[in-house]
Amino acid sequence: MLICDEYLTPSTLNEAFAAMQRHRGRYRVVAGCTDTLPWAREGRAGDVEIPVLIDVARIPDLRESRVDDHRVRLGAATPIQRFLDDPVLARALPSMPRCAVWFADEQIRAQATIGGNIVNASPAADVTPALIAYDAEVELAKSSGSRVLRRHMKLEQFVIGPNRTALEEDELLIAVECDALPGHGGSFEKVGHRRSLVISIVCLATLVKLDAQGRRFEDVRLALGGIGPAPRRLTDVETFLLGGPLSAARLEEAAEMPVSLVASRTRQAYRRDVVRGFMLRGLISAARRAGADAGALSPELEAAYG
Amino acid sequence: MADVRFEATVNGRKIARNAKPHQRLLDFLRDDLNLTGSKEGCGAGECGTCSVFVDGVLMKSCLLPVAKAQGAQIETIEALARTGELSLLQKAFHKTGASQCGYCIPGMVMAATAALRTNSFADREEIKERLGGNICRCTGYQKIIDAVEMARDVQNGRLPATIFSEVEAEQGDYIGKNVRSIDAPSKVTGRLKYAGDMTMPGMLYVQVLRSPHPHARIVSIDTAAAETMAGVEGVITSADVPGEDGFGVIVNDQPVMARGKVRYVGEAVAAIAAEDELTAKRALAAIKVVYEQLPAVFDPDEAMRPGAPVLHDYAPDNITKHIPIRVGDVEKGFAESDLVVEQTYSTQAIEHAYLEPEAGLAYVDPDGVVTIVSPDQNITHHRNMLARIIAKPIAKVRFIMSPVGGGFGGKTDMIYQGMLALLAMKTQRPVRLVFTREESIISTAKRHPSRTRVRMGLMRDGRIRAYEMTMVCDGGAYCMSTGNVVHKAAVLAAGPYVVPNIKIDTYGVYTNNTPSGAFRSFGALQAAFATESHLDICAERLGLDPFQIRRINAMHDGAVTHTRQQLGSVSLSRVLDTAEKASGWESGAPVSRGDRRGDLNREGVRPPCALGARFAVGDKREAAE
Repeated sequence: MLICDEYLTPSTLNEAFAAMQRHRGRYRVVAGCTDTLPWAREGRAGDVEIPVLIDVARIPDLRESRVDDHRVRLGAATPIQRFLDDPVLARALPSMPRCAVWFADEQIRAQATIGGNIVNASPAADVTPALIAYDAEVELAKSSGSRVLRRHMKLEQFVIGPNRTALEEDELLIAVECDALPGHGGSFEKVGHRRSLVISIVCLATLVKLDAQGRRFEDVRLALGGIGPAPRRLTDVETFLLGGPLSAARLEEAAEMPVSLVASRTRQAYRRDVVRGFMLRGLISAARRAGADAGALSPELEAAYG
Repeated sequence: MADVRFEATVNGRKIARNAKPHQRLLDFLRDDLNLTGSKEGCGAGECGTCSVFVDGVLMKSCLLPVAKAQGAQIETIEALARTGELSLLQKAFHKTGASQCGYCIPGMVMAATAALRTNSFADREEIKERLGGNICRCTGYQKIIDAVEMARDVQNGRLPATIFSEVEAEQGDYIGKNVRSIDAPSKVTGRLKYAGDMTMPGMLYVQVLRSPHPHARIVSIDTAAAETMAGVEGVITSADVPGEDGFGVIVNDQPVMARGKVRYVGEAVAAIAAEDELTAKRALAAIKVVYEQLPAVFDPDEAMRPGAPVLHDYAPDNITKHIPIRVGDVEKGFAESDLVVEQTYSTQAIEHAYLEPEAGLAYVDPDGVVTIVSPDQNITHHRNMLARIIAKPIAKVRFIMSPVGGGFGGKTDMIYQGMLALLAMKTQRPVRLVFTREESIISTAKRHPSRTRVRMGLMRDGRIRAYEMTMVCDGGAYCMSTGNVVHKAAVLAAGPYVVPNIKIDTYGVYTNNTPSGAFRSFGALQAAFATESHLDICAERLGLDPFQIRRINAMHDGAVTHTRQQLGSVSLSRVLDTAEKASGWESGAPVSRGDRRGDLNREGVRPPCALGARFAVGDKREAAE
């Protein structure tokens, strides 16, 4: 049970900063609350008393999103369901609807926010690795007297480990900015114990751009989640594949590369198998959506992983 | 803690009330507005029994602090049939028999409503996807999804609305017909009151202190600080039990609350009744229990060894029940056999996971009758036991069975009703206890974990000559139904097969694990899993078809079982024929596997379960990954 003396719903950023100032050291910022309420139950944190909860989900600055040809800006309180409902976002971020559909369920997606998923810094977070593949940056802000100090940082560096981020005291995550990649094919592979409402045992976000013939990699973005303390961008695999041909041999070699990254506390052997399979499936399906030449891969490989 | 002014529109009516800042929308709807159609199945967003519309968007009200719904338009299950007429979906749920225990149904109807509002032409896959956040334990979902499809088709004019009123059964002719459940309308509308939905004037809220240790002596319990807290009306421990403290099904080995020692993690040690839940929780934290930890045992085979920690003085070997069955001479049978196969099989504990966590309301009526209202699957037995425990004549104890939001046997063993009775007597006020999901899982009985060794002797032609079986069931800390479960396992172990030589031993054993109790099939599952798996292995070894080996050994009408019961009719042959035909079984010994089998991937056969996501992006629907 989550117990508080006050539950504040500031309607502007300034109101939020003022509340944080006023209740310094005795508040917690919440957004969707879809993880905070289950956290305050037996078996996790148990009954928790926090004097003040500051709910930032209604602040307009945190709900805005903007899309142009090159960049996307997403307010931190953007609900996950937006990736499925907003065709403009879905086009700019082709793997995000696939990530979102695996995220909890439709009801929770309407409430849960991308900022919440990032700041929670769960090793099994889905949105974080998916956004890391778009070279995402976070925008952070804190109030200093009458001024608001803003800073930016790579999302990959912001998430440090389980429940740990680079967020400073009295600082808020305002927005995420990332590349718009409408010409890429995207995929999001995830496995858990069931279809809905499940956390990732492993997840893999993949983005692929091919040449005009659909036979060579012009861009590859890969990020893995669930395999260790924090999500990982697979830059060495990306470099290996970049410019090379879309072929079974290359993909199979690439699939082996991140297997050794598995550093989870449990089920390492299983996760290694899954990572290998996901690499093939993720790359093949992203490549197909990027217009891969039908003859580029062997029918056997397509049948097994397509 | 300052109240917050909460204003919203609920089911078309403006409301303006004070709410506690920590209240969830679910609490506010249920406790303050008495809209109990929204249920709490898990409190963690996993089950969907609490789904409501907030500004037209379906959300889980257990995950919403009430302030999040400030100013919103809220729609609950109660809104759907406000005119008195059921909505199309509610009628369809009634028609297809989609509501069984009914506890998940208000949430299911809401999720189905959301699905058809979002896409009135949603196909079956999309319906499944959109209902993915709601869990049902009774139906297996098929009838629920059938109902949504039926409502969709009536809404789109593809089916006539008269389909809802068609009745298959004629007057007095019900066998083999679809008969509609008469209590379904109360379930699809959320009007049915389960124990946790009931309130009484002056009612107190109960919280239970539970053991953190698997095995420990209770040195002392100090309740003084809790007793004096404002709002606390009653604190009880085993010292408050006036009569013979012990309940059970076979052995009365379980005290209402731990007496002298605790035997499993989650065992009740003390209980508090207070003016509200939060006060009761805070008082719970003020109870000081000093434990002296004892060696514990978690494996039933270890528990039977000499020198193992002893749980109950009356059973120094920790065996609560042993059922031996002997037919013929099993060693002679093995000696005569062409093939002897030996294997060990194990099954794990399983939680019943009914959507309704345990709940109960108790009061002492004006005539001094101690009355317990709870979803109790065995009220007559429990009434007799409770009378002895609280030292009252049977006429002064009354049990009322509230609607059971799923039981599967798990609500057969009396668990918390004793505490409710004692608190109602001590406070002389109505008291209500509603378990959290976590409490239900940690403290209530599970299916018996089992370890079964089977040794079978067969002739080359497949006839079974000898069957030897030893099953050890982990009964956990208290006996509950263990004796009867291992009894049934022994009776059914050798299956519906003619076997001349049999030696069966089943044991129910105490350990410091969560107690095991009644669960659907009641011992038959563990025995059948071992014996039937074993027959498949023997078929493979003999090069026989698994159906054939069963037919060779099958009992027929008039057979006498190994416990000397004469059977009038035996349907095994018909069952085998039907299963073989329906599965399209590829005959022969089970030596080929997976995609090499011709009976898989046939037309009309569903592919194996997969986690594939189905979703729509824009107008384009595709099966992802």
